[in-house]
Amino acid sequence: MFEICHVFAKVKNSDLEILKDFSLSIKPGEVHAIMGPNGTGKSTLSKVIMGHYNYEITAGSLLFEGEDISKMSVDERAKRGIFLSMQDPIVIEGVSNSEFLRTAQSEVTGKKVNLYSFIKEMEKAMKDVSLDSSMLHRSLNQGFSGGEKKKNEILQLKFLKPKFIILDELDSGLDVDSLRIVCSNINDYLSVNPNTSLLIITHYPRILQYIKPDYVHVMIDGCVKKTGDKSLALEIEKDGYSGINTMIGIDVCE
Amino acid sequence: MSKILYVVDDNKNKNYKYNIEEDTIIYHFSINSSHSVLIDLVSEGVSVWYYYYNINYSDNEFSISIRHLSSNSHSEVFNHGVNVFSNKLKFIVSSTVLSDSYSCICNQDNQIINMQDGKSTIVPNLFIDNYDVDSSHAAYIGKFLDEDLFYLMSRGIKLDVAYRLLLRGFLGINQVSDESLISKFILEIEKI
Repeated sequence: MFEICHVFAKVKNSDLEILKDFSLSIKPGEVHAIMGPNGTGKSTLSKVIMGHYNYEITAGSLLFEGEDISKMSVDERAKRGIFLSMQDPIVIEGVSNSEFLRTAQSEVTGKKVNLYSFIKEMEKAMKDVSLDSSMLHRSLNQGFSGGEKKKNEILQLKFLKPKFIILDELDSGLDVDSLRIVCSNINDYLSVNPNTSLLIITHYPRILQYIKPDYVHVMIDGCVKKTGDKSLALEIEKDGYSGINTMIGIDVCE
Repeated sequence: MSKILYVVDDNKNKNYKYNIEEDTIIYHFSINSSHSVLIDLVSEGVSVWYYYYNINYSDNEFSISIRHLSSNSHSEVFNHGVNVFSNKLKFIVSSTVLSDSYSCICNQDNQIINMQDGKSTIVPNLFIDNYDVDSSHAAYIGKFLDEDLFYLMSRGIKLDVAYRLLLRGFLGINQVSDESLISKFILEIEKI
């Protein structure tokens, strides 16, 4: 499904290298979690996968369903089925949620979206994620709380039906109830679309109580330093990243 | 309930004068034109919301002056221009509160998007002669933000369609309930 092979990536027009020989392989239907302390390159990884303008891949490849996507435009990657739920979704004044989402759905499916069926589908989806239907006509994310913005990301996901989902710190800004609602929607999506893969980027193991990962990776200084199952996340919760550092120092460090 | 006015100008330089005696919302859509607008808030407690949207292809100037001639009057002015080529577009925006006009609110928000390397200027003036006033102004000249384009494109929207969405939003299309009123302006957006 998705393979990152020995990727090096840096901030454009600078020497600041953030991903350093990063490799990861994700098969269809697998759930992977990447954990790590601040500043290790987790969010950069998600942006590099999506083709963010601020980063440049200097070596390695990004393979999605066998195709190298590293030179593709951002919209082409999204059309292939990659979806990035952003850590801090932006506000775009003047562009309504409904116009944005209807345009996106039309672009991704290549078909004109019927207004009546769109509104019906939208109303149901908004109810599923506990968003008030009046938000449909508001500017994109304008006046939304942190939790509402995250729910709006998941609403978009439900409409665009991606094959590979990246959740960049979904749990930040979400209260317990909202986190439960959002995760339940993601789990429902995964059960209906069992070949969809998921990459969860997080500091905390809290989200992994709701979405069970098959693999947990610890990312430090731009690459994966340790891989395990969910118990690795529990170790991090217990000992912190310093505990993992010590462990890496003993077991893994070259 | 406010009175709502729609004004659409296409390649015509015009001057406007409004005496505001009841709450009024004015949507002014302008294609490649220069204008001078004078608004007098004459009745106590009255409000005006002025939305100016401009698509510019040559050298043009928009000048608007709002005068608070009565107490408790309220003005909100939004001027959005898109400078398509390398021409000059200038906004001169003046809000005046007289010394005997108390408890007024007067705000302005001015933005010009340069699609290429246009020479745009905004002159936001606040002439306030009374201490009991709530007032602000903002001015932005630049491009659409890369972050906005990235977000839209990350949902599968092509670059040109993303620009179209941003232009429609910036030029106030979503504020108008009946698009047929400004069909000429909407067609013009498609040409940018």
